[in-house]
Amino acid sequence: MSELGRILVVEDDPRDVELTLTALDEYKLANEVVLARDGKEALDYLYCREQFASRSDESPAVILLDLKLPKVNGLEVLQQIRSDERLKMIPVVVLTSSHEEKDMLTSYQLGVNAYVVKPVDFHEFVNAVKELGMFWAVINQPPPGSKKKVL
Amino acid sequence: MLRYGLAVVLVAVSVAIALSLQVYEFREIELPVLLLAIGVVTWYAGNGPAVLAVVLSTTAFNYLFVEPLYTLYVSVRDLPYFLVFVLAAIIVASFSAVRRRIEDNLRHARDRLQIELEQREQREAEVRKLNQELTLRAAELATANKELESFAYSVSHDLRAPLRHLVGYSELLKKHASNSLDDKSQRYMQTILESGKRMGNLIDDLLAFSRIGRAETRTTAVDLQQLVREVVSEIGAQTKQQEISWKVGALPVCYGDRPLLRLVLVNLLSNAVKFSGTRRPAKIEIGSVDGNGGKSEIFVSDNGVGFDMQYVNKLFGVFQRLHRADEFEGTGIGLATVQRIVHRHGGNVRAEGAVDQGATFYFSLPRANLPLERKASAP
Repeated sequence: MSELGRILVVEDDPRDVELTLTALDEYKLANEVVLARDGKEALDYLYCREQFASRSDESPAVILLDLKLPKVNGLEVLQQIRSDERLKMIPVVVLTSSHEEKDMLTSYQLGVNAYVVKPVDFHEFVNAVKELGMFWAVINQPPPGSKKKVL
Repeated sequence: MLRYGLAVVLVAVSVAIALSLQVYEFREIELPVLLLAIGVVTWYAGNGPAVLAVVLSTTAFNYLFVEPLYTLYVSVRDLPYFLVFVLAAIIVASFSAVRRRIEDNLRHARDRLQIELEQREQREAEVRKLNQELTLRAAELATANKELESFAYSVSHDLRAPLRHLVGYSELLKKHASNSLDDKSQRYMQTILESGKRMGNLIDDLLAFSRIGRAETRTTAVDLQQLVREVVSEIGAQTKQQEISWKVGALPVCYGDRPLLRLVLVNLLSNAVKFSGTRRPAKIEIGSVDGNGGKSEIFVSDNGVGFDMQYVNKLFGVFQRLHRADEFEGTGIGLATVQRIVHRHGGNVRAEGAVDQGATFYFSLPRANLPLERKASAP
């Protein structure tokens, strides 16, 4: 796993991780991914702490954030990112099982860029994830200070 | 008895006083003293003793103080004097009687007030007690609601995740192993996938259904005519290959939550389309009749396969279906959703039908009192 990834995937379920990576690989984006297994690891990565202390301090182009996470949950991670001057410009996409209006509302109130419910149907799931990866990591111009696509 | 005694004693005492004062050469003192006695008796003892006091003192006055003394004979000369005494005695007595009556009334009024006050205090205590119970019940309900919410939340989260993996990995397996799988295994694979997807749909429907019960509703005046037109054109666009003859009658403006009422119409109209799919053409009619209690009843009827009236009670149940899955698709949540939404609006649902004769579904809603003329229109 590269430490110079441009897509930070925050996901605790290894099966979802595999499915997500499978989906991103359809556009050859799997190598761009950095994985955080819970909210604390995600924040460690963003603040270059602990096992990420030596990484270059560029921000990812996008964060794919699950909501239900051990230790620090997704909404707390989002809140922390949006209240930090250095991090608040990073695009964050919530990718969750939760169809709950409450979660959606809170996420948007905290300033999420997109909210995607993981479809049960595999093809829909793969399409959703690879389109997300394509759009945010390739098509979208990330804010200054993010890791740029190396062509 | 005591009060009459008081009259006798007082008259006797005043006669004694008058007689003794006469001994000391005071003259004409008997009249005011006896009047005073009558006054006091009336004041304290009431009407009966007052009459007694008047009679007694008149007699005593006549016997002891009016010439000739010691007889009850009244000479013509003394008649005016005697009559004046009687008149004065009666006036004093009646004044006192009036005062007494007023006092009695006041006392009664006070007693009534006292009783009312006590009753009111009792009622207030009851209201306070009921209020306390209500607060307690509300707190219990809030807790139950919260538990239900977290239940739905974990169903949404935790039940969908393994399902997604089941379906996802089956797809991956199918992709990887499709060349090495024989026809039978392919079919098994396909069944696993379809079952997973169906369960996903069931969970989604169930969650949506539970959300209807919990979501806040926003009540506005909703023009059903316009809403039906929207839903008809939406459903019509999805069913271009099916020949449908729509007939929309005059529909009222009702109070309700627009998105929820839309859901009611979508469910009923798509059911009508679904169950009249074999008819050429399918005939679907939407109309309304004014019901009582400020409500309107809206109906959706079709000429489809209908249903047996003996199962009418099962129609609106959650996941209840009257048709086999291979006849008509669906999870069986549609009419349960309709019923739940209509109940939340204070209305009722009912259905009529016969096998192969079509079905009619009715729901009632509170009518909005807007002076709007509704005309029938074709979509």
